[in-house]
Amino acid sequence: MESGTSMLRRHFLPWDQPMLPQAAAWLAGGWAGRGPLDLAGMLALVPTRQSGRRLREALAELAAVHGGAVFPPRVLTPDALLTAKVNEPGVASRLESLLVWAELLRTIEMEGFRQVFPVDPPARNFSWALRLGEQLVKLQQTLAENGLRLADVPKRAGEEFAESLRWEQIAELEARHAAILESRQLRDPFAARIRLLERTDGRWDEFSRLVLLGVPDPQPLALDILRAIAQTRGLPIDILIHAPPEEGDAFDEWGRPIAETWASRELHFAEFDRQVHLCAAPADQAARVAELARGYAEREGMLGIGLADSEVGPLLENELKRVGLQVFNPEGRPLRDEALYSLLACLATLESDTSFATVEALARCPDFFAFLRRRGGGAFSVARWLAGLDELRARHLPADLAAARHHAPGLRQYPEVAEGLAAVAELRVLLQTGSFAAGATAALQAIYGGANFELSNTADERRQATAAAWMEVVRECMAADSDDRRLTTADWWQVALRLFGDRRRTEEKPAGAVELQGWLELLWEDAPHLVVVGMNDGRVPEAVVEDAFLPEGLRRQLGLKNNAARLARDAYLVQAAEMCRRRAGRFDLLLGKTSAAGDPLRPSRLLLRCADAELPQRVGFLFRSRAPVAASETTWRRAWKLVPRMVPPPERVAVTGLRSYLQCPFRFYLRNVLGMQGIDPLKSELDAFDFGTLCHSALEQIGRDPLLRDCTDAAELRRALLGHLDRAVRARYGDRLALPLVIQVESARQRLGQLAELQAAERAAGWETIEVERPFEVELSGLIVRGRIDRIDRNVHSGAIRVLDYKTSDKPVTPAEAHLRPLRPVDQVAEWARFEGGTKPQVWVDLQLPLYLRALAEEFSTRPACGYFNLPKATGETGAAWWDEYTPELHASANRCAEGACAAIRAGVFWPPNDALKAERDECAALFHHGVPESVEWDRR
Amino acid sequence: MNPLQHVMILASAGSGKTYALTNRFVELLVRGAPPERIVALTFTRKAAGEFFDEILNKLAKAAGDPGAAARLGREVGAPQLGCAEFLRFLRALTDTMHRLRLGTLDGFFARIARVFPLELGLTGEFELLEEHAARRERQRVLRRMFARSGRELGADQKDFIEAFKRATFGAEEKQLGSRLDGFLDDHQERYLEAPAASLWGNPARIWPEGNAWLTADGDPVAAIRTLRAWLESAAVDDKQRERWAAFLAAAEAWSPGVPVSDEMDYVLKKVIAAWADVVSGRAILKFDHRKQPLDSMSCAALADLVRHMVGGELRRRLAITRGIHAVLRGYEACYQDEVRRAGKLTFADVQRLLVPAGEAGSLSGVRGQEGRLYVDYRLDGGIDHWLLDEFQDTSHGQWSVLRNLIDEVVQDTGGTRSFFCVGDVKQAIFTWREGDPRLFREIFEYYNRAAPGAITTRYLVESWRSGRPIIEMVNAVLGASAVIHELFPGPAADAWTSEWRTHSSAVPDRTGQAALILAVDEAERWRRVAELIREIRPLERGLSCAVLVRKNAVATELADFLRRETGMPALAESDLHVCNDNPLGAVLLALLQAAAHPGDTLAWEHVQMTPLGAVLGDAGVTTREAAAERLLGQVHAEGFERTLEWWLRRLEARLDPADGFSRVRARQFAEAAAVFDQSGSRDVAEFIQFMERHAVREPEGAGVVRVMTIHKSKGLGFDVVILPDLEGKRLDQVRTNLAVHKSAGREVEWVLQIPSEPFAQADETLLQHDRAAGAEACYEALSLLYVALTRAKRGLYVIVKPAGKSVSRNYPKLLVSALGDVPREIRVGDLSLPAVWSSGDPDWHRPILAAAAPARAADRSARLPVLAEGRARPAVRRPARRPSTRSNLRIPAGQLFSLGSAAGVEFGSAVHALLGGIEWADTAAIARLQANWEGSGVRMDAVAEVVACLNAEALEHVWRLRPRAEVWRERSFEVVLDEAWLTGTFDRVIVERGDLGAALRATVFDFKTELITDEPSRAAAIASHAPQLNLYRRVAAVLTGLPPAAVRCEIVFTRVRTAAVVGWEDGSEAKPKFGLYSTVGAPHGARHQ
Ligand code: SF4
Repeated sequence: MESGTSMLRRHFLPWDQPMLPQAAAWLAGGWAGRGPLDLAGMLALVPTRQSGRRLREALAELAAVHGGAVFPPRVLTPDALLTAKVNEPGVASRLESLLVWAELLRTIEMEGFRQVFPVDPPARNFSWALRLGEQLVKLQQTLAENGLRLADVPKRAGEEFAESLRWEQIAELEARHAAILESRQLRDPFAARIRLLERTDGRWDEFSRLVLLGVPDPQPLALDILRAIAQTRGLPIDILIHAPPEEGDAFDEWGRPIAETWASRELHFAEFDRQVHLCAAPADQAARVAELARGYAEREGMLGIGLADSEVGPLLENELKRVGLQVFNPEGRPLRDEALYSLLACLATLESDTSFATVEALARCPDFFAFLRRRGGGAFSVARWLAGLDELRARHLPADLAAARHHAPGLRQYPEVAEGLAAVAELRVLLQTGSFAAGATAALQAIYGGANFELSNTADERRQATAAAWMEVVRECMAADSDDRRLTTADWWQVALRLFGDRRRTEEKPAGAVELQGWLELLWEDAPHLVVVGMNDGRVPEAVVEDAFLPEGLRRQLGLKNNAARLARDAYLVQAAEMCRRRAGRFDLLLGKTSAAGDPLRPSRLLLRCADAELPQRVGFLFRSRAPVAASETTWRRAWKLVPRMVPPPERVAVTGLRSYLQCPFRFYLRNVLGMQGIDPLKSELDAFDFGTLCHSALEQIGRDPLLRDCTDAAELRRALLGHLDRAVRARYGDRLALPLVIQVESARQRLGQLAELQAAERAAGWETIEVERPFEVELSGLIVRGRIDRIDRNVHSGAIRVLDYKTSDKPVTPAEAHLRPLRPVDQVAEWARFEGGTKPQVWVDLQLPLYLRALAEEFSTRPACGYFNLPKATGETGAAWWDEYTPELHASANRCAEGACAAIRAGVFWPPNDALKAERDECAALFHHGVPESVEWDRR
Repeated sequence: MNPLQHVMILASAGSGKTYALTNRFVELLVRGAPPERIVALTFTRKAAGEFFDEILNKLAKAAGDPGAAARLGREVGAPQLGCAEFLRFLRALTDTMHRLRLGTLDGFFARIARVFPLELGLTGEFELLEEHAARRERQRVLRRMFARSGRELGADQKDFIEAFKRATFGAEEKQLGSRLDGFLDDHQERYLEAPAASLWGNPARIWPEGNAWLTADGDPVAAIRTLRAWLESAAVDDKQRERWAAFLAAAEAWSPGVPVSDEMDYVLKKVIAAWADVVSGRAILKFDHRKQPLDSMSCAALADLVRHMVGGELRRRLAITRGIHAVLRGYEACYQDEVRRAGKLTFADVQRLLVPAGEAGSLSGVRGQEGRLYVDYRLDGGIDHWLLDEFQDTSHGQWSVLRNLIDEVVQDTGGTRSFFCVGDVKQAIFTWREGDPRLFREIFEYYNRAAPGAITTRYLVESWRSGRPIIEMVNAVLGASAVIHELFPGPAADAWTSEWRTHSSAVPDRTGQAALILAVDEAERWRRVAELIREIRPLERGLSCAVLVRKNAVATELADFLRRETGMPALAESDLHVCNDNPLGAVLLALLQAAAHPGDTLAWEHVQMTPLGAVLGDAGVTTREAAAERLLGQVHAEGFERTLEWWLRRLEARLDPADGFSRVRARQFAEAAAVFDQSGSRDVAEFIQFMERHAVREPEGAGVVRVMTIHKSKGLGFDVVILPDLEGKRLDQVRTNLAVHKSAGREVEWVLQIPSEPFAQADETLLQHDRAAGAEACYEALSLLYVALTRAKRGLYVIVKPAGKSVSRNYPKLLVSALGDVPREIRVGDLSLPAVWSSGDPDWHRPILAAAAPARAADRSARLPVLAEGRARPAVRRPARRPSTRSNLRIPAGQLFSLGSAAGVEFGSAVHALLGGIEWADTAAIARLQANWEGSGVRMDAVAEVVACLNAEALEHVWRLRPRAEVWRERSFEVVLDEAWLTGTFDRVIVERGDLGAALRATVFDFKTELITDEPSRAAAIASHAPQLNLYRRVAAVLTGLPPAAVRCEIVFTRVRTAAVVGWEDGSEAKPKFGLYSTVGAPHGARHQ
């Protein structure tokens, strides 16, 4: 070991200045600018990819000062050092290893592993196995960092180990895993890493210098390998530590902060109270930093921002953009966030499930509708395609793709729908053809065939890179596919999507953008002013609690990275960041009192690492109950008033339109004049209108059939009605009804069945139907009102005529209740809308039956009777409700009202609105806040 | 020191519960307990945070101030301690901060579940669903269930439909979706508590001895006939006859499920009251205070009829209950499959997992002597001390999880472990969340039975919050044992009065007033609130003021009213739907709706009516077509939050500069969108649903009148409290008609939807259940009043309707009965009000002068300072570039997705790798290389290609050894060029040097494996690669010290084995600065094409 240690040469880069330029200068050694700065034979280990990037940049910069350029060293993270040399044939990829785990977990007999699985899992399906497999891979990885395998745990955990039985079984699982790999001539990737130690053959020959650069917590396995390289190649290892030489005792031979030392060590701040800022919520932290960044807007390179708590990240990005700055997050974003991912997720679903919802989701993927456009040529419209799908849903509630295609040709206004659905069906065929990879690529080629990515365009370049990443995943899957694995295509999709989604996309930093650095990058940040947000406990120092396999105690015992080591590392990072800005810079730390969700947060323990005498005051300062809150405006205020478009009044309205007008002239304007109509994208059952239409159509058929018209046999009528209903249902909704429809149709059957009885009795009483669905038009004050009368009956005995309307609301209604309501004291209702003839003054709310009578006025000598046939839910209440009290005064009043309303409509009177309408009955409710009149600017016109 | 005791503290409101709890914690530290071995749990994360802050601050004070140290020392029974010791405890605590178990019950349970996933049948890591996420999952499950086609229905789904029909007997059949959603809100928890079908609507469990109503079923038609016949000649007067006739008519039309008419109700109740007589055949019924005898025939007929009715109704309710169960089971089966099995759990799920279910319990693997070690080990350390807060809100389920762990502490006789809990059974207002105030007593008895004296209880009845008048009112109303017993005879009054202890004020000098004020209706009550606030002017005096109501909706309305009527800043502390309670958010949602659903003209017109219309126009979005393309494109590429931020920034520019409110909402909108984005969903409909539901609690408003529900006020105190919303139904009204009957051990015994009144009263079992449930409701109602009255520090004004004679036994009735019912005028400052009771000083508020505005903002103004110019040198930041080829500027996208194209990339990489291995090559070397490659696993097509290149005459100069030449192979470089930082790799460079080592000339070779078919394609390729090569030329020049013109550049086309020289053009002037480069992110291996 002696010789080993002497190979390690520690070098201290004092922390009174930033580390990066010092490190670059140290690497450059005596280079004076003649020829390239040639570091090509050097292996430089750095903590993260981003720090490696920083290092190369600093070297280029240093060379530029002398007008030169650099042959850079091989810059690797410890993890990359391990993987760089094991990705070779014969070593299983991580995916292969994972799939073997999944396979194993699905096939073991649980009884033999009761220490690991005391109870049976809820379902031993692929998805379960995959997720558990991922955990085991992670566990292997954690142990491999220290050169351990699962089987080493029970051996090393000591005599008293409480869970030795459990771990022996886990080790057995690992052995079986390895055996399966071996049967395929593969080795476990983590085992291969560990074996690197034993086989230091020629593979390291390219290196002539070994440097460990500012890595406060390297993986022990990487260090072992570094040592092995040094030994075989006879090289020393140079270890650069950002700290003054006096601090030598605080670091071990590898430059790691010593846990015991740093655990209790005081951290020095120049002016603690001014450097540490307690903020109320993440938004306050973000706002403060944004303000600061704006102060530096013109001075790039002055400010560095560190994110200790990623929760603040998005808020901070927004705030920075609001003050006009560009932001760059070197962490990148997971590919899960890319458009391609959602398209792929839709395809994955489509492969196994053709529910209409799947189709709708796919339909809204931009690349998919771009495909439809290319396919459909110039006439294709996205708006029509999507609107058509909504129309299809609203009209036919299709359960799946097949049902949707069945109905699509009926949507004449939306030719895109049939075409688009055909395309979906074709894609599905492609998806199901051949293996997962074949199906997936065939579908994607179809979708993207004919499209071009313009690489000069950032968005397209990003899509191209994402596509390439996906294809890499597919290839990986293909490589890992073996016949004996028996994954379904759906399983493969699941695997591939997970792999793909977890990858990250990193872009190059845009010029001038503010960078958001992760905590571990801070040592490498050289901006003179550094601000760290999110200095809360649990974030910094990072603490791992709860681990089903490796509790802290066991970690310590096994020598794995543990909370004490993290504390030491983070304490050191804070101290170094603070010290190197003392002379010519500034270091600020922000921490939140609460999280975005409002949960309390604690300050980082590091902030309490002070002299004992100071502690009470620190606690008082950091644990103040109230953090300063940014004064925010909470008084409700209207951002603007709505200014509706102005269009001329209509020339025709439907009878139901008149009802809307009476209810509220303004909403009538919005709905009937401007044509505003909402869509319920989640409609999954009949609405009241659909339900009524279904019942009506059956009743209409009965009314048109001369034989049935005269039928007095309730059973016969019922049979006919239900037959019509079933046909109507089938025509409109197909014969594969969705669950709620089954129930609703059942309800319609019951109601119609009951009506059959009523009808038979009425016919027996002499009432014969002389007309159904009779259209009419009347002109009132220059406005044409049109409508349709459900049915007109004549009594064969008395010759009396009656006009009736079918009502399918759940509760029976009387015509009087439906047409008039009591006048309320607060009402401001036009004179013509009132009826004062009754006991109490009333207001017209509907004019349906009076208008029917008016339309028929010429036709019959006496005024017909009028009323409803109610088909309510409680079938016992099915029956007719006649408007017996319909007097001539009422009729006259109704006519007055109709003319008044029509005149008002023609005159364009759509104001004031009815402010008393309840939001739940107002389709337009979303437009209004704190009162309808206040929400709208009507007078401006 | 005395031995450590197990203590249960019953702490009345304001009596310093938190104080007791924090002192206990300190006491444990003093006695040497390691902080991480103390578990302290409460119900909300906020309370846990405050608890921790308080302990630290307490210790910090004692550590810094000898007086404080002495005080604290006395309080925790260690008067000898001084600052130094407390400092030590403080340090110990801060050092172990991350290991403390100080939080919520839910959090603690989740921790246990996380370390025992496999033991609990979970798949390792699980995701905890917050409320909004849980709701979304529910919607998804429902949608999926609904999408299933009826014809493929399996037997279980057919059952589901049948069940639903049964469950919704007599209710709306349309709109299944919302109905089912509401249904789940109402019943899901109950189902999960008692999933066994045998418990639901099972007569054998409800009536183990049988139920006479169900066994006999009379013939109603015959019975009605008989009764009509009897009525013809019965000795009854006209009024009675009318009643009978109406009853019989109603009975004839009645069938189970039809609402009971008044006529029917009247007679039915009489019959049921005299049931024994009716059955015996001789009954005298009293209608309108007049008796009427019935003979045996009519009795029998009547009995038949009523049996038919009651039996029919009970059978119907049984069927409905079973239906409810089946509906829930159907849904749950689906949910279980799709959500829980996928590792998504709610806190309630976690807790349920942990409850030991009998002996085969889920945590059984970790119990027992051996098991204990196991828990300790996985949780990283044992637990010696338990501190539980708000114990009255603990549910039986929660307690069953904790009990195993606490049992061992209590049973441990070593004297070093302890149990401590604090609560107030008089503040048990969360029984609807399964809070169980009876536990307190039961646990006390349970432990003391095992070891008498094991646990002691202490009552804290001295209020540090409320002044004397308030306490007087509290005692007068809630200590009015006689009144309470009279109004609510039975267990509720017993329980309440036995827990009651007379309160006293610990701050008797605190002046104030308490009064019971009268107002005839709601409008007047609200007006009175405004008058009181105007008179007291709490805000100007720096007094906190709250108006407490029963429902959130009322809070919102009342706050609006107060703002409007008084111009006072009043804030409803209900949850604000920040995403759509204002025009800005509403129109953004409309925009998305219009984009995803272009047929939605409502949404599109809405957008056009607002400034967003113009913003869209500026961005070129003037049609729905364009909106769909643009917005969906953005959402899919960037997510909702970024998309909407983009539009928001533009929209904000058009807001009134003074409109801070809308800007706050804009931020809240973006924050909410970010939360949604975490789900990864790009579904607009789901997003809109989420946003509409998303609610934010306003930060506690200082300087405003706070209007909130009594429930929310729990734990808070205010100088002035006004209670204008205490009207309502009788206190013992049972809230739900789905009865869950439990045994003393809280085992569910049966579940039944209780029939309406006359029917329910016919059955003794149901009657008993109803009474017990009523008593529970009543107890909770008293608790709620207690909470409401005890929030006040100084002024407490209760406003109720004047008591008429016939008021039901509601809050006003109780208040008036306890405080008096004689109206008189009372005074509050200058205000004169009708009231029945007042105590304290009507002018208490006058001497309180306007308090100076608190000196907040000291911190706020402390902006982060910017470093002065010249004080420090900025770090260098340059844009990063990579040389790239201009070829393939346009890539056919379909080609990217071909599995074959990879072959191209891989082939290119392989060729490059092989060429990179070659230093110099003559014939002999070529043979050697070829031999090495063969059998090395390298793809043979690449080997063939490379060998052909090596042998090609036209390429001979590429490999030929030159004197004093050096070759760079696959050599990376870093350089600053044109102000940008450039990173790249040369394929091959040959540098020829003179005798002194200085470079004479250099040649850059770049290998391209693309296929050249003819001269034009060759020319095009050269043109597109030229910029890249020229860049290499410049870099090589820097590296060698040569002028660029002395660097020769050649493209080596490997497929056709030729090289092409690229001429030198100095592009630095003519072209845009970075035109030569592309940003990184070019596909892996693109360089090799
Ligand atoms: S009642 Fe409120 S103020 Fe009093 S101790 Fe409890 S929490 Fe603290």
